[in-house]
Formats: sequence, C-alpha cells, structure tokens
Amino acid sequence: MMHECSLPTINPQVVCREEFDGWAILFDPDSGKAFGINPVAVRIWKNLDGKTKKEDILQELKSSFSEVPENIESDFVDFVRDLVEKGFAGYEV
Amino acid sequence: MPAVMSTPRSMELEITGKCNLRCRYCSHFDSPGDVGIDLPAEEWLKFFEELNRCAVIRVCFSGGEPFCREDLRELIEGAVRNRMRYRILTNGTLISEEIAEFLASTKRCESIQVSIDGSSEEINDSFRGRGTFKKAMRGIEFLKSYGLPVTVRVTIHKKNLEDLENIAKLLLDDLQLPSFSTNSASYMGLCRTNPEEIQLTAKEQTRAMETLLILDKKYKDRIMAMAGPLAEAKIWSEMEESRCMNLPSKNYGGHLTGCGCVRRELAVRSDGIIVPCTILSHIELGRINRDDLRTIWRHHPALRSLRDRTNISLQDYEFCKGCAYIEYCTGSCPAMAYNLIGQVNHPSPDSCLRRFLEEGGRLPEIPS
Repeated sequence: MMHECSLPTINPQVVCREEFDGWAILFDPDSGKAFGINPVAVRIWKNLDGKTKKEDILQELKSSFSEVPENIESDFVDFVRDLVEKGFAGYEV
Repeated sequence: MPAVMSTPRSMELEITGKCNLRCRYCSHFDSPGDVGIDLPAEEWLKFFEELNRCAVIRVCFSGGEPFCREDLRELIEGAVRNRMRYRILTNGTLISEEIAEFLASTKRCESIQVSIDGSSEEINDSFRGRGTFKKAMRGIEFLKSYGLPVTVRVTIHKKNLEDLENIAKLLLDDLQLPSFSTNSASYMGLCRTNPEEIQLTAKEQTRAMETLLILDKKYKDRIMAMAGPLAEAKIWSEMEESRCMNLPSKNYGGHLTGCGCVRRELAVRSDGIIVPCTILSHIELGRINRDDLRTIWRHHPALRSLRDRTNISLQDYEFCKGCAYIEYCTGSCPAMAYNLIGQVNHPSPDSCLRRFLEEGGRLPEIPS
C-alpha cells in the first residue's frame, strides 16, 4: 500500500542505465535483476529523491511529455508501488 | 543495425599481464595486450568510480591470471562498492578455499570461468603445463563448495580432439556443472609460434563438429559456443541450408556484421589503455583516469569506424569474389581478420565456409 503523504526514495544501490531514446533499465546489482522502463518512468525515477512531491512530479510529466494519458496518476501510483515491491525504492524509517 | 548504448554496459579489465602458466596457445602473451605493466590498485579503484557514474553494470576481470594479483580482493570490493557485478576468467590453479569463501561473501559474482582442456592430467597438461589439471580441478571444487557460479571453457586443439566426449562427461555428469563453453585454439598470441602443432586442420575441425553436435544433442543446452567448431557447425549449416533453398539474406548478411561487441562493451589493458576488445588491443582509444570514458564511447573515430564495418559489403573483397555463401556471411571476428592478414576491415579467413570446404572440410549433419 502506498503511503498517503510521502513518496519513497530510490534505493541508491540500484543502477538506472539510460540506453536508447530515453528508455532505461533499472538494475539491482545484488540480485542481478533488471527491468526496462520508458522515458516517463525514467523521469519519475529521477524525481524520487525524498523531496519532490507527487503533484509536482505529475505536473512535470504533463508539461514535459506529449500524449500523457488521462490516468497518469494511477499509472504513477502503480509504478511507484512496483518499485517498492521490488526493493528498488523504499520509505525512510 | 542495432543502436549504440549511451555508455558501455560492461567492461573487460585485464587487471594483470602476469600469469603463473604459459599455455602453448595463450592469446595474451606475445600479443599487443602483453604490455608488461600492471596498474596499482588505486588507479583501478578510481576508474571504478567513473564506471559507476557511467552506469556500467558489470566488469570482467581477466589477464594474464587475475588471481596473480595479491590485491584482487581490494579490486573486487571496489567494483562491489561501485554498484557492479563481476565475472572472472581464470586458469583456476590459484584458487584456494579462502578465496572461494571471499568471492561467495561478495554476493555479486556472476560467473567464474575456469579453463580445462582435457578429462585427464595427460591431455589437459600437455599444453597447459604439468600439474595444472589437478590444481584447476581443486579450484573448481572449492568454488562449487561455496555455491559459486562456475563454468568451464574448453579450448579445442589437436591433442584433446578425441577427448571431447570424456570432457563433457567429466564436466556435466561427474562435476554436475550446469554448462561449459567451447572454442578452438586460434591464430593469436603464443599459438602463432607453432600453429601446426596446435590448431585443427579442416578435417579435424569436421571431426570436432561431428562430435560436438552429438554431445550438444545429448546434453541439451549445456554446451555453449560463440566461436569454434560447435558454433561454426551451426552457423555454416544454416548458411548452406539458406543457399540450397535460395532463401533471402537475414541479419544484414553479406556485410561485415560479425562483431556486435563494440556496441555494448569495451576493454582495458593492464597498463590502463582503453581498447575496443582484449583481442583488438593494438587499437588504443585512450587511458583510464585521463580520458573521459563516455566521450571515447560516443565519439572516438576508431570505435565509430569499427561500428561502421557493418556498412561494408563483402562484395567489395577479392577474397569473397564468386562465393556462393556471400549473402549469408557476416565476415566474423575483426580481431581474427587482423591477426591473420593484418586488416580489421576484412572478412576473417579463419571463419570462411568456402575456404573450409576447399581445404577438405565437410559440414556434418545436425542430429535430429
């Protein structure tokens, strides 16, 4: 479950490799697991710094990318939840 | 053609030029990579920080023999600290239980490739030196006992040609390794001083192909090959089938497309000189901690030229004139072409199907 008021921060051990056309892979060197993310997800990843607010990230996405889907907020929530479940991001305790 | 990544995904690092062995077909000694200088650990550790900034995710420690470096632990810890996983290419003879325990403790080891070329001391040691079989086997046992991902590379030559079945049994049945890989002794390094004693003739290569295809069927997916008789048996059979059926060319055949390495990785010699590949060590691209890796990767003219080989048609070569396989050929490895005829931008004669057949080779049937 995503926390209501805060966003997780990226796991600093995870490598974000931007490879082609803004796409990237997130690579966990401990497990060797990797998964590909699109340019919008790359932008979200870069903003999970523990300071930037969800609303600000969403606003940036809308202003930076054309054809941002209507349900961007739910996609955002799903992506961030997925990162947390994979251990690629987490909440400070 | 595939795009080029923004930075190399992995790097092969020849962390030492020293080795405790002198295998008769060693590709390192007497090659342009044999520079006789080893960088201190501090230089490598500083470079690992740049690799981290470039989001390189993997390094491969090679040499020489990596375990000749007493500070290898320090280098591995540096790679781990900088968010990388690692592989090691080794002769296996210097691996102790203590080393295996350390490697396992890092939890970042992707593979350790040990060279074994025979199922017995007599065959393995004939070209690798006395006592190497026992030591390498002991090293493998230590690695296995700590659950490390061990693999073996078998280099095929005249003296182990009839031992391939026993080697497969030793590695896959007795040692229960998940897989092993094969290649063949190539005209590089020390092999160039006595190729006729080491390298396979076309007829011997045919024999190796037949045996390996049978073993490949028996041990499904457990024998790998990027080069050498098994790889060529598969690639050449497909080329022959395409020619017979008059199929259209695929994978941009008919051009020098045989090497994709320069689109995803680079290498560094033991003296810190950045090169496209450890077997293209004469092409100097810059030096670590002096030249910016990202700039070299994106803009170095020699690297761009290597990537642009894919636009060169095989029709341009006298060597390929009249060849029935030209539409299906990729020209294979530029390093082999360079070693054999001194040109990088040339199809490799070593991987030429027409030449193989003219010299008495025969394509074996692939077992169904």
